Amino acid sequence: MEQDPQLVKRCLAGEDSAWEELLKAHNRRVYNLCFRFTSRTGDAEDLTQEIFIKVFQSLQTYDVTQGTFITWLSRVARNHLVDHYRRTRQERLTSSIEDEPTGLEDKPSAGEHPLAQVESRERRDMLQAALERLSPDMREAVILRDFQDLDYDEIAHVLGVPQGTVKSRINRGRLELARVLKRIEGMKGS
Amino acid sequence: MTHLELEHLASDYLEGQLDTARRAEVEAHLAGCGDCQALIADTRHALHLCRSAKEIEPSPWLVTKILQATLGERKPSLGQRLAAFFRPAIQTRVAYGVAMAVFSLSLILNAAGLDLRHLRAQDLDPRTWVYQANRNGHLLLGRVEKYYYDLKLVYEIESQLQQLRAEPSEQAPRPQTPSGGTTEGAPMGDSPLASSWSPTTISTAFELLGRLSGWSRPTRGTTR
Repeated sequence: MEQDPQLVKRCLAGEDSAWEELLKAHNRRVYNLCFRFTSRTGDAEDLTQEIFIKVFQSLQTYDVTQGTFITWLSRVARNHLVDHYRRTRQERLTSSIEDEPTGLEDKPSAGEHPLAQVESRERRDMLQAALERLSPDMREAVILRDFQDLDYDEIAHVLGVPQGTVKSRINRGRLELARVLKRIEGMKGS
Repeated sequence: MTHLELEHLASDYLEGQLDTARRAEVEAHLAGCGDCQALIADTRHALHLCRSAKEIEPSPWLVTKILQATLGERKPSLGQRLAAFFRPAIQTRVAYGVAMAVFSLSLILNAAGLDLRHLRAQDLDPRTWVYQANRNGHLLLGRVEKYYYDLKLVYEIESQLQQLRAEPSEQAPRPQTPSGGTTEGAPMGDSPLASSWSPTTISTAFELLGRLSGWSRPTRGTTR
């Protein structure tokens, strides 16, 4: 598979196929990031599309010497998500998040027991509900580290904060997530 | 180590990023603190859940939607346009028709004696084509006739027939047709053609055919 900087170079030279390749390589990552932030598949798709339009328009600003393409893409995506979060704050205050379904439909995995499928879906919903209860700062740090698998340095680049702050946010985010999960599990058990 | 200090180090401890001395301090605290043990266990569980969470698949048309939004309706390339233009001509029936046309044209050109590599002004005159076609037709006919008469089989039959035609005048008078036979009313001897078909002639013809084809006429008393 071709490296991202080469693909970016070909995109800038006007090769549509390079853009398509780049899009296919990273759309899932951006979509998952959006879904973890919004918890809704419809919103995640719209945001993914908006982010890639932004990426397409600002591709010439990507500087290879400043970091990997994934870090740059994550920064663009994160900034867009923060903007979206601020824009829709009022809407969220007036509508209950819990009432709205995620829009996810489980595709049955081959060979997976139906009971295991149900458990897997419950775990996923519980995790997403717990993530929603974190503050945006902690949530984005945890998502970038534990779902998107970026290292501390990359997260510091994406968020534009020092690495110490990143470590602190991740640690507090994980502890908070653990507490929320325990509470949700306790509520389900009782 | 206090509870708060351990909380600050929880992620580093779980990710194995503490040095040996710091790790020993954390473990010493955990050994004597049930609350912190529970905290670490819960955080480990949360971490495991996050890292083992499956990726969510976007809808299959997401990429297409983004491509349309960024590149617009894609214009076909020159190659694609050419392929679309020639697609109807690549069908079998068209290819067959073209092949037949080429074949017919080559036949006509050949019959007219035209050589496309050395085309002259007079070759474009239809009278030349008719003349050439007529000439070539006669040449072809002459060649076929010559080939036919040169065949050994034909030559032998011809010579035998000539011999047979000459025979009746040299031979004895023909035996009479038996009375009461079916041919009584229409004697063969009246026809000039039949005059040569005497039993001797037929026998000779059989012998001739037998020699040519390796088959012999069955005679009385012989068994197969």
